[in-house]
Amino acid sequence: MSRDNETMQEDDLNKLMNDDPAFEAKLAQAMQLDVPELDMPELPDIDAANVVPLGRGPKKMMWFAMAATVALAAFLGFQVGNNELGGHGEHSSGGTLEEQVLAHLDGEPASYRITDERVPDDQLVKVVPANLATMNHDAGLITYAMSCHINGKDVPHLVVQGEKGPITILLMPHEKVDGTRELEGENIHGFIIPVGDGSIAIVGGKGEALDRVRQNVVDSVSWST
Amino acid sequence: MNSSLEAPGRRRRFDRLVAVFHQDMFRYAAWLSRDRSIAEDVVQEALLRAWKSLDALRDDDAAKPWLLTIVRRENARFFERRRLETVDIDNLTASQSALLAEAPNEELADLREAIYGLDDDYREPLVLQVLMGYSTNEIAELMGLKQGAVLTRLHRARLKLKDGAAKEANS
Repeated sequence: MSRDNETMQEDDLNKLMNDDPAFEAKLAQAMQLDVPELDMPELPDIDAANVVPLGRGPKKMMWFAMAATVALAAFLGFQVGNNELGGHGEHSSGGTLEEQVLAHLDGEPASYRITDERVPDDQLVKVVPANLATMNHDAGLITYAMSCHINGKDVPHLVVQGEKGPITILLMPHEKVDGTRELEGENIHGFIIPVGDGSIAIVGGKGEALDRVRQNVVDSVSWST
Repeated sequence: MNSSLEAPGRRRRFDRLVAVFHQDMFRYAAWLSRDRSIAEDVVQEALLRAWKSLDALRDDDAAKPWLLTIVRRENARFFERRRLETVDIDNLTASQSALLAEAPNEELADLREAIYGLDDDYREPLVLQVLMGYSTNEIAELMGLKQGAVLTRLHRARLKLKDGAAKEANS
């Protein structure tokens, strides 16, 4: 008979452990081996070729290209392809709204995942509280939701899955813009659009059709502020 | 594409996780392999693999079991390559002995040697429970066992260690 065929109840194990706490303490102490100083290996640059795929390879690669461009924007000063931008939109906490949006995306790599897993409704309600905005389910399959801060304000950061990869949506009820501000990069495109007294940023990969998402989002969101 | 463009945020996240869990990774690797040098190699390989697949980690709260699973696989790969499946406790290499030589007193040294001498099937769940704080369910999931089997192994591991300690005392 295999030694694992005998069943052991959890209570039996707990009794054995509780009956001899001194032994348990020694056991724990004996296992505390000295740990050498961390010797970090040389980490290769990460690109689509050596990232473990999550299931939809080509889209993943596209999105990493997009993420890379976003990061470049954050660190080197993004060249926003909008003629309206010159000088307006400066914000007190540093940079234009466009720059802050792009810098924020750089800090949330978790949002770049391609997945079919929907964010639970209760989490969505926490991220998009009723006193900030209301949102119905027409925006699309929301696969990421995080409450973030941009320019000192609460900003729901959502991701819906587009045809070519994840599409980032930032709901900014307190950021009024005069008109649409386009965001263009080597591998991404998007825009910040005025919605009432606030705005919504939508950013997708190059070639991603954003108009439908834009319409869905605008139709499904209303500000509570 | 310039692959370094997305690196800063990703690297910060990785460094943070490594800073928190490096000690657990090393100790787990050391108790699995029973060899300090091998453990260091296994951790290096595990760190590389973790770096490459970091984007598969959805939630940093799950980082510890994720990293330990990588260590476990790297350790298995190492021994598959080297075919070092058994350790003769009476004929240890310097690196193997070093693992046992660090104990602060004789009693702990004896207990450490007894743990060292346990079969892998007993030693690993014991390390996961005592050192890593895993529940029996979590150990079962990591090792691909039923919970009952884990409970049995944990129970027997303790009995073996106690029995060994009693014999040592009598001798």
